[in-house]
Amino acid sequence: MRCRWVIRWLVLSLGILQGCTHYLANAPLERYDRQGGYRFEALQPGPGNTDTVFLCLTFSGGGTRAAALAYGVLQELRDTTVTADGGSRRFLQEVDCISSVSGGSFAAAYYALFRDRIFQEFEPRFLRRDIQGELLGQVLNPANWFRLMSPYFNRIDLAAELYDGTVFEGKRYRNLTGGLRPFILVNATNVALGSRFEFTQEQFDFLGSDLGEYPLARAVAASSAFPILLSPLSLKNYPSPPGYEVPASVRNAMKDAATNPRRYLWAKDLLAYQDKAHRPFLHLLDGGLADNIGLRAVADAYTRGFIRRRINNGAIGTLAIIVVNAHTEPPENVDRKENPPHLATVAMKTATVSMENFSFETIEFMRGLAGDRTQAQQDVAACQRLLDARCPGGPRLTAFPREVRLHVIEVNFENLQDPKEREFFLGLPTSFALSDHQVDCLIAAGRRLLRASSEYQALLAELGGRPREDAERAAGFPSGGCRASQ
Amino acid sequence: MEYVVVRFPGSRPVKIDGEFNGRTGELIELEAGTYTISLGAPPNFTPESQQVVLKGTSALNPKEVVFDEV
Repeated sequence: MRCRWVIRWLVLSLGILQGCTHYLANAPLERYDRQGGYRFEALQPGPGNTDTVFLCLTFSGGGTRAAALAYGVLQELRDTTVTADGGSRRFLQEVDCISSVSGGSFAAAYYALFRDRIFQEFEPRFLRRDIQGELLGQVLNPANWFRLMSPYFNRIDLAAELYDGTVFEGKRYRNLTGGLRPFILVNATNVALGSRFEFTQEQFDFLGSDLGEYPLARAVAASSAFPILLSPLSLKNYPSPPGYEVPASVRNAMKDAATNPRRYLWAKDLLAYQDKAHRPFLHLLDGGLADNIGLRAVADAYTRGFIRRRINNGAIGTLAIIVVNAHTEPPENVDRKENPPHLATVAMKTATVSMENFSFETIEFMRGLAGDRTQAQQDVAACQRLLDARCPGGPRLTAFPREVRLHVIEVNFENLQDPKEREFFLGLPTSFALSDHQVDCLIAAGRRLLRASSEYQALLAELGGRPREDAERAAGFPSGGCRASQ
Repeated sequence: MEYVVVRFPGSRPVKIDGEFNGRTGELIELEAGTYTISLGAPPNFTPESQQVVLKGTSALNPKEVVFDEV
C-alpha cells in the first residue's frame, strides 16, 4: 500500500517537474521605439572606428572549424595597423558589422561581447573544448531526462544552457559592449518560411518582442542548430505593442512583386510574422540552411539597410566585406562504385550541395553589386571629364555624394597554393571537437589566407595598412605542418 | 541598382520611406522598387511626399523627383 503511494507521489512529482520545464521564452516588447534596441543606428563607432572606412566581416558555418578560421582572421586584423583617415590604429577597431552563421556565430558573439578578451579566452573556452562531447553528456545525464520529456524543452535548450553557462557568461543582448560597434547579425533559418532570420531588434519588432533581454547563447544556439542532431529553437510571436507601425519600406516593397521580386519576398517574409493568429510561434534551425556564409544579411544591408543609408548619406569612403568561408570538400568516393549512394549520403548531399551552390552565387551577387557601383561612379566621372573638355564652363552632372571604393574579399581554403595543404583543410570535419593541432592550423590559415588575398592587399595599400612585424611568425603553420599526408 | 535625384531650391536631407537617405541635388542609389520620397524639416515644400517606382534608370539618366518651395 505504502509502495503504491510512493509510486503515485513520484509520478505526480515528475509530471509536475516535466510540466514546469519550459524553454526560456523571448520577452514581449512593452513599448515600440523605432530608434531603440539592438539595431545598427543605435550603436556608436567607438575609439579608432572611423565612419569613412566601413568594414564588415561574415563568418560562415562549419562548427569549430569555422570558428577557428574566423578567430584567425580577427587575430590578423588585430595585428594590422592602418593609417589613412584618422591616424594609426588597429584594423580590428574599424570593424563595423559581423554577420555570422552556425559555428561562426560563436566567434562573432564572443568578440562583440568581450572584445580583446577573445584573444585570451576563446581558445580554452570554446575552440579547444569537446563541445559536442559535453552536449552528449548533458543529454545522457539522468537529471535532464525528465526535462527532455517535456514538450516545451528540447535538446537545443540544453545546448543553449551549456553555451550560456560556459561560454557567454549569461550575457544578454543589452550587455553588448557599451553600445559600440561592431553590430552583429546572428543568422538562423525559420523552419516554416525557409527564410533567413536575424537576431536584431529590427527583426524582433515584427515579433512584438524585446531582443534586449534575450541571451546571446540562445541566438547562437539557434544559429547552429544543425537539423536532426539538434532540435529547432522556439520563439513566441507576440501582438505588436501600441504605436507600432509596419515600416513604410516593407509596405512599399509589397507592391514590387513584378518590379523587384527579391525586395517583395523580403517584405513578404517579414509580414508573415504579423499574422499573429496563425503564427503565434516560430521555430528556428541552423542559419546555414538559408545562407551558409552569412553574406545575405550584409547584401541586404547594402541594398536596402543601414549600409545603403550610410552610402547615400556620404558617410562611407571605403567599404570592405571580408567573407570568411570555411567550406570544405571531404574526400568523395561515390563515383567509384556502381551501386548508387545509400540514403544517408543522398540526404546529406541534398542538404549541402544546394547550400554550397547558393554560397557561391551569393558571393558573386555581392561582387556584382560592388562592380555596378564602381561602374556607375566611373561612368559619371568619365562623362563629366568629356563634358568639361568639350564644353568648358558647361553644366555639372549630378554626382554621388561621395566616391565609394568597394572590396569583396574571400578567405577560403581553395585559395591555398600548396595542394597538400589545401587537401588537409578541405578534408577537415564539421564538428564541435577538433584536435589542438587542427585548431592551430585553422587559426594560422585564417591569418595567412587573409594576408595573401590580392583584394585585401589592395585594401591595405589604400588605407596605408600593414601587418605588425611580429605577425609574420604568427601566421605560420604550427610545427609539423598542416598537410594532407600527415 | 537604380538612381534618383531629388530637386529642391535649397540643399535638404531626403527621406525615403521615412528614413534619411541622401540629400537633394545628389545621386541616390537604391534597389529597384516603389518608394515614398519626402524631405527633411522645415516643412516648407510641396507636395508633402511623392511615391515613385524606380526601374530602368542609370547614374547618367536618373529619375528626377521635384519638390517646390512654399
